Amino acid sequence: MERPARRTVLVGSALTLVLGLAGCGIAPDPADAELSDGEVTLSITWWGADARHQATLDAIELFEKEHPRITVEPTYSDWSGYWDRLATTAAAADMPDVVQFDQLYLSSYAGRGALLDLDAVPQFLDASSLPENVLASGTVDGRLYAVPIGVAGNGVVLNTSLFEKYGVPVPDTDTWTWDDFDAAAEAISEASGGEAYGVSPFGWESFSLGIFARQRGDELFDAEGDVAIDPDTLAAYWQQELDWIESGAAPDAAHLSEQQGLPLDQGDTVLGRTAMSFQPGGLFTAIAAAAPDFDYEIVDWPTDPGTPPGFQYPKPSMYWAASSQSEHPAEAALLIDFLVNDPEVAQAFGTERGIPANEQFQADLEPTLDEAGRKALTFTEQVTDRSGNAPPITPNGASEVDTMLSRYNQRVQFGDLTPEQAADAFIEELRSAVEAAG
Amino acid sequence: MSAIGELRTLRRTGRGRLSPAQKEAEAKERRRDSRAALVFLAPWLVGLFGITVGPVLASLYLAFTDYNLLQDPNFVGLENVQRMLGDERLGRSLAATLTYVVVSVPIQLVVALALAYLLDRGIRGLAFYRSVLYLPSLLGASVAIAVLWRLVFGGEGLVNAFLGLFGITGPAWVAEPETALGTLIVLHVWTFGAPMVIFLAGLRQIPRQYYDAAATDGANRWQQLRSITLPLLSPIIFFNLVLGLIGTFQSFTQAYIVSNGSGGPTDSTLFFSLYLYQEGFAGFRMGYASALAWLLLLIIGAFTALNFWASKYWVFYDD
Repeated sequence: MERPARRTVLVGSALTLVLGLAGCGIAPDPADAELSDGEVTLSITWWGADARHQATLDAIELFEKEHPRITVEPTYSDWSGYWDRLATTAAAADMPDVVQFDQLYLSSYAGRGALLDLDAVPQFLDASSLPENVLASGTVDGRLYAVPIGVAGNGVVLNTSLFEKYGVPVPDTDTWTWDDFDAAAEAISEASGGEAYGVSPFGWESFSLGIFARQRGDELFDAEGDVAIDPDTLAAYWQQELDWIESGAAPDAAHLSEQQGLPLDQGDTVLGRTAMSFQPGGLFTAIAAAAPDFDYEIVDWPTDPGTPPGFQYPKPSMYWAASSQSEHPAEAALLIDFLVNDPEVAQAFGTERGIPANEQFQADLEPTLDEAGRKALTFTEQVTDRSGNAPPITPNGASEVDTMLSRYNQRVQFGDLTPEQAADAFIEELRSAVEAAG
Repeated sequence: MSAIGELRTLRRTGRGRLSPAQKEAEAKERRRDSRAALVFLAPWLVGLFGITVGPVLASLYLAFTDYNLLQDPNFVGLENVQRMLGDERLGRSLAATLTYVVVSVPIQLVVALALAYLLDRGIRGLAFYRSVLYLPSLLGASVAIAVLWRLVFGGEGLVNAFLGLFGITGPAWVAEPETALGTLIVLHVWTFGAPMVIFLAGLRQIPRQYYDAAATDGANRWQQLRSITLPLLSPIIFFNLVLGLIGTFQSFTQAYIVSNGSGGPTDSTLFFSLYLYQEGFAGFRMGYASALAWLLLLIIGAFTALNFWASKYWVFYDD
């Protein structure tokens, strides 16, 4: 019932204390890592949907075939709850050996010594197949802690079936401006009579905020890992959302707040309630697969004449990392090496984890892709061509940035705070979280 | 005292004074008895110290540290208390939790009492109704019902579909800051089964002759309820009130599921336990979360003490 909540936390914290203390100091020096002579059992964990689970299980089977002495025990789940669970296992020194990571949490774990320094195990893990600028986003303080798996830009996903249904011409997305975008969004809302909306706005995740900021020559974080964004940029980001709600291009605040955190297959994009939405490119094939009745395109963001080029960049959609507490760092590195470099694994994964960061695999995959996969690949190639410098990854202490954004965004949506007030308060809160961790 | 010990006492009273040797033998036996008791209690003691006392003490220590789950804790004195004083979200969380407790606990008790009273009037098929009415209590705190709740009270949920029959366009109840907490209160009130069953048992213990005597004197139903049922039931009401407050203060699941773990919209459903959980497990501030847990303990302790103090004035023990 309700009562266990506090007790569970108390129990959890004490157990983690006891076990955490017990676990201290046993981490071996990764530079001494060598393969064990006997049987080894590795654990691995990832988040994802069904398609990813099956593909990853297949890849593990291939690995076990090649390394008969190593048994791999998988655990996998949805995104929600994944990080809470990981934090608990890490505190108990029981973190799985190999962990699928997101850049939000990378510095927070690496900066606190929870991840294996992958630069220290070059004899088992060769990441040189990945482009330099992509690998850079897996490093913290100059050391490689996580190997990017796939990359993608942030794009606008168009539901072209809806455009057709409501008789609104699809804008020329190669040259479109923000005015073109707004006009198309309003036209859809109007023509559909409330059945569908022109745009599902951004407002609550740092990927779209980063792109929005880069369009204005701004960044969320600077190279030192400090919060760098100008409050005006952040206020404009939220003001844009309010403008869309005001003009009818987007649904009202309650509808939007209901949408937050919903699984992909219950969201407006898949249900055909919205004609345009801002999405990480890595989700495109999943969206297309979840809604076979609709045709989708993924295109670059609109720009204005003054928009600096190079605001896009191929962002790793996820990484492989290893636990610093692992009893088998050599085998863990070996498994990551296999998952990143084996061509059969690349075939098994397809584009489900984003476009493979390994460029050789992009070429290998191309002929085998379905239509949605090809569209995602084309979009990522386009983004890579137009790419500017990748921004620094989310610093230590800022892993909550998305939930924080979501919180302030809601207060803006419901009129609690003006975008300017929210921007100042958000920056102050994020800055103190980063400083507390620093 | 063990059964063997009791027998021995009986024997002794029969025989009068004991010699020193007998006394020695007895002390030895008593020690053996308490050892046996310890062995039998061991599983429970392991649980008590390993799972309750130990962790509680550990969290007391952690409350004065900057423990972040991944690194060793450092002692920081009263920094966490200081942080509480300037914590705006803590204020909002306390407001949401207090509103929830103060509104939903009394309503739930009234509903539970009313239904118990009706059931006690001797309906045919009582066991059936009792089970049906108890059912929500088994389900109410479960994840599945919380998920269902989100759908029932969603913008296109059942409630709005029903209102739509009368031409009313309802809001997205769980997504509006003004109504989200209300849906959780309704969910909590709906789980009235546990106090209802306890009330039912209490009603059964009130001697019938009181009512017969009152009826003879011409008291009507309402007078009987006020002058017999409620006073004699007051210890049970008190019991349910105390347990209800303690449990409700610690509510977690409903808010976690209905708000997708955010406590939103705009922190309107940010229950204390949920905030504590967010701080500890999502924000890596386990030291602060431990301090919050102790704050919750103090708050619940204060409310319970207040309750016991107030009970002197309205709880009637018929003995």
